[in-house]
Amino acid sequence: MLELQNVDFAYKNQSPVIHDISLTVGPGEFLAIVGRNGSGKTTLTRLIMSLIKPTKGNILFQGSIIPNCTPAKMARHVGYVFQNPDRQIFHDTVAEEASYGPRQLGYTPEQTATFVNEALAATGLSQLADAYPLSLSKGEKQRLTIASALAMQPKMLILDEPTSGQDARQRDQLLKLLIKLNQQGTTILLVTHDMDLLSACAQRAIVMAKGHKVFDGPVSELFQDTLQLNNWGLIEPAALKISRELAAFGLKQTASINELSHDLVNMLRRNNYA
Amino acid sequence: MMIDIALQDFSYAYTHPKKVLDNINIAVEKGSFSVILGPSGAGKTTLCLTIAGAVPHYFGGSSAGEVHVAGINTRKSTMHHLALTVGTVLQDYETQLVTMTVEEEVAFSLENRGISPEKINLRVKETLTKVGLTGYEKELVTSLSGGQKQRLVLASVLATNPKILILDEPTSALDPEGTESLYRLLGNLNREHDITILVVEHDIAAVLPYADQFILLENGKLIFSNTPENVLSFMANSHVFIEAIPPLWQLKLMLEQHSSYQFSPWRKEQDAILELHQFLQEEANKNA
Repeated sequence: MLELQNVDFAYKNQSPVIHDISLTVGPGEFLAIVGRNGSGKTTLTRLIMSLIKPTKGNILFQGSIIPNCTPAKMARHVGYVFQNPDRQIFHDTVAEEASYGPRQLGYTPEQTATFVNEALAATGLSQLADAYPLSLSKGEKQRLTIASALAMQPKMLILDEPTSGQDARQRDQLLKLLIKLNQQGTTILLVTHDMDLLSACAQRAIVMAKGHKVFDGPVSELFQDTLQLNNWGLIEPAALKISRELAAFGLKQTASINELSHDLVNMLRRNNYA
Repeated sequence: MMIDIALQDFSYAYTHPKKVLDNINIAVEKGSFSVILGPSGAGKTTLCLTIAGAVPHYFGGSSAGEVHVAGINTRKSTMHHLALTVGTVLQDYETQLVTMTVEEEVAFSLENRGISPEKINLRVKETLTKVGLTGYEKELVTSLSGGQKQRLVLASVLATNPKILILDEPTSALDPEGTESLYRLLGNLNREHDITILVVEHDIAAVLPYADQFILLENGKLIFSNTPENVLSFMANSHVFIEAIPPLWQLKLMLEQHSSYQFSPWRKEQDAILELHQFLQEEANKNA
């Protein structure tokens, strides 16, 4: 679906911030991009969206080279949710905001209305359809930007740190929404610092460090090398750390706190502790 | 016991009659580390703005009750006067950045206080080191990442040596390492320099090692204010905002629910590992 071939990127007269990145993303994948602040995660997503062009290498979307593409063309296929929702909200009501994309793509008013209603329902914003977007909470604004992207019926959704500044309830809702969208066939590319979120939903992780891709593989493999995790500035989920430290008692390693709790409770039961 | 921040029967509405804070009573001890918790729309940011004096001095609105910060009645004082004691890092931190370069930004608030250039240079260096921005002195503020900007705002606030620090989601743009080091820094400032810290944070696990008090708000009302242990147990037992209970405590509560064992109030993963290790070892020995 998406392919990057030896991509470099540098801002004018500066040293490259993205070095020789090659990767492919297949349809229906749930991929997370992680790494320190300033490691190139956002730049990578901006390259994919054609907002900036590679200084070397090619990016192909469904076989076509993106440099020949405009951000508007890319937006037909890929929905992009910015880190700061205020940067992409400019209409007077929630429904109008979500209608802008599909209307620009030439859908009929009826089609647009259907897509918008579906998108607002999926993001839990139906009740706020007539609300003034700038009066929404940050979590609601973030969901509105996702709704605006969904209303354009994208094959792929890129989200840049969508849980920053969200409370735990909104984070859980977002997690469920992303899993549902992915199950319905949307390819998801999630930039995040949240390792619990990553282990709960992504199948594959890419680690960026100083503009280089330093890891690309299944999430389960990512957590195996704790020394490397530290080098990359990643913090392993609490469950993984605890289950690893207690492996001598026969606990299997897991990144999920629910699984660890169940395993420990079962162990207590087996030994009649409980 | 000295109280640094006290709200008595405080209510506030940006526009009457919609109360954003409703009859709040809170006491924050001098030199303590308190965390305001609660879902979006609970009134956390408004509470921060109240303590900084921006409510009501900047936002207007209608209020009832009393707010005292470092012994000053905020209603009778000014934001400028309060800022001599209270340092604030806003949720929307970018609005606090006003200069071209990093070092100018930190120097700005000091220049406004008439501090000598020599002292300013020294203070700029010190605070940039504290927040990990040494080497960025001449960089343009606009070229910084979100996380770097957030740390720059903190440096500008710390440079003024506040006795009370109010931080509204200070780690929202930071990576996990940055979050850990920011709270380590705040923990040190709190313990070694006796600075009173009040922070709004969604990630309870990040503040748990340092906090003395949790203040739980929901829909503008104070739900419960107590030690972190008691507030987390309350959230679990009363099913209030349970989504926010950190993984470490989810594990503890689940194990306690299924056994007769009571674990100590874990603050860090290491606490859990040590206690579980000891517990499992003892049980294994018994069965051997």
